Amino acid sequence: MADLSINVRVEHEDFVLSINEKISLTGITGIFGHSGSGKSTLLKVIAGLDKHVQGKLAINDLPAADALLDSEAKIFVAAQQRNIGLVFQNSRLFPHLTVEENLRYGQKRRNNTSVNKPLDFAEIVVLTKLDNLLSKSVAQLSGGEQQRVALARALLAEPRLLLLDEPLSALDDKNKSLMLTLLAKVQKQLNLPMLYVSHSLAEIQQLANNLLVLSSGKVTHYGDIHQVIHLLTTNNEILHQTSLSLTVQEHLVEYGLTSLVLGDQQILMPLNQQIESDANTNTNVRCIIAASDISVTLHEPSESSIVNHLQGTITKFEPCKSQVLLTVNCSGQDFFVNITAWSAKRLSLIVDQKVFIQFKANSVRTLR
Amino acid sequence: MNSTHPDMLALITTLKMAGITTVILMLIGTPLAWFLAKMKSRGKVFIEALVALPLVLPPTVLGFYLLLLFSPQYLPGQIWQETTGQQLAFSFSAIVIGSVLYSLPFVVQPLQKAFEQLGDDLLEAAAMLGASAFDRFFTIVLPITKASFITAASLGFAHTVGEFGVVLMIGGNIPGETRVLSIALFDHVEAFDYAQAHVISISLVISSLVLLSLIYLLNRPNKSRPKSSKPAISKSVISKRHN
Repeated sequence: MADLSINVRVEHEDFVLSINEKISLTGITGIFGHSGSGKSTLLKVIAGLDKHVQGKLAINDLPAADALLDSEAKIFVAAQQRNIGLVFQNSRLFPHLTVEENLRYGQKRRNNTSVNKPLDFAEIVVLTKLDNLLSKSVAQLSGGEQQRVALARALLAEPRLLLLDEPLSALDDKNKSLMLTLLAKVQKQLNLPMLYVSHSLAEIQQLANNLLVLSSGKVTHYGDIHQVIHLLTTNNEILHQTSLSLTVQEHLVEYGLTSLVLGDQQILMPLNQQIESDANTNTNVRCIIAASDISVTLHEPSESSIVNHLQGTITKFEPCKSQVLLTVNCSGQDFFVNITAWSAKRLSLIVDQKVFIQFKANSVRTLR
Repeated sequence: MNSTHPDMLALITTLKMAGITTVILMLIGTPLAWFLAKMKSRGKVFIEALVALPLVLPPTVLGFYLLLLFSPQYLPGQIWQETTGQQLAFSFSAIVIGSVLYSLPFVVQPLQKAFEQLGDDLLEAAAMLGASAFDRFFTIVLPITKASFITAASLGFAHTVGEFGVVLMIGGNIPGETRVLSIALFDHVEAFDYAQAHVISISLVISSLVLLSLIYLLNRPNKSRPKSSKPAISKSVISKRHN
């Protein structure tokens, strides 16, 4: 299995990026960090656009290892020879070319050494829903359309790795959701490894299977997306939340709800058009439930408007000022629950106690 | 006027000088403008000042120093004479070299501005799609800044046609070699041949006006065109013409 080994150091005036990590090139790896954490710099280093870098960078596809950078051996492979794609925050389309000419630009220059058969132009155009826009000038496109052209253009150059630098940040919510669905679909269909940089954990949570967290130019966490979000929550580094990846059971269209499977229990969330219309490709739903949206009861509520109640066991009890962060395990999944210390005392909650957690369908959030 | 008329000969010499100068200017000016647009060190202002010097210096000052350098007593003139067997001063080559230096800012400044406006974004995008530096220049830079290239070439050409001081100092007045229109005009005035002076003057005024109008037409802000393709031209460059 291919991986990207990074051992680099970048020194700018008031900022140092120092990374030593091996990233598995499967699926989508999210790179999360606040502004100034060095996530965009890291992406530029991998792309070959930042030349003031020391160290080593290589793509290992065993048994072959392809060095992109080795400052000791004076190896620096230029950006155009790395066969790595990059979708920028601002789509950076060529203003003097039509949509089709923009798409062909990368296709003409693609690296033909790959053994795979070339991508079908028409297939990518249909996939990215650009069939009606091909003859347009790029100035006529909306923000969402521009970003789709940028994605298709990068795909047609047939990179072995696609980098995405905050590709949704200039889009409105509707286009964000469309683009997220598209990216997930593209990844699945082309089996193209991607590194997705964002300051929005919610975005990354929708797509990535692995998560790399950067802070002040250093890697603080790297691993499975749900586990890392779990870790960030317990470390109080982000708002307490439970990150889930669940299978769709059925769409209850008349009630506007979708039911998801969790072991032998079920979770109801608001019905989502995207998920429903893409039934075949979206049997899995990524969602987040904020810890403050979940409450605890000792007995199963039978006469409540709150639709979700799950049986579980308290596995962790962490007091924090006037609040308590509970970890409740329901059918093998840990849920984070924030309650007041007063409630915890009133219900005399302790570790290993059997409880019910409850939350509204609306508190199950997804960006789709 | 037939081709043996001295003024016709001066016109041909002028066009030949301006044409060759423009070609050389584009070849030298483009990489120099690119280098200046991308340069970040403090030395940049010095090189910019050096390039802009002909805008403020009396042409005779430049001509005077070039005359010295081109003469066989000085190394450049000496090397030229040894390699070509001919004296550099008072030759066609001398006025072409002088014109290149004298018209350099008219080519470098619009190009530099265009390259600065273009920025790195599109070039990085092209590199990520596999385009080499040369490829990027011909498929991205040149088409987007095309209008600035036309402006630079036209200004370089027009300014060279209108040159007087430098040519007079280093070229003298040799028919068919260094006698250009502006000098022919000077001759007519000295000889009180105002009729012929008018012919040259009015033709220069009209042709310059037509050429400049075309440049301004080309540079007219066009709202349908994206921002980055707007050519850069500084009006100050045009208004600072000396001759």
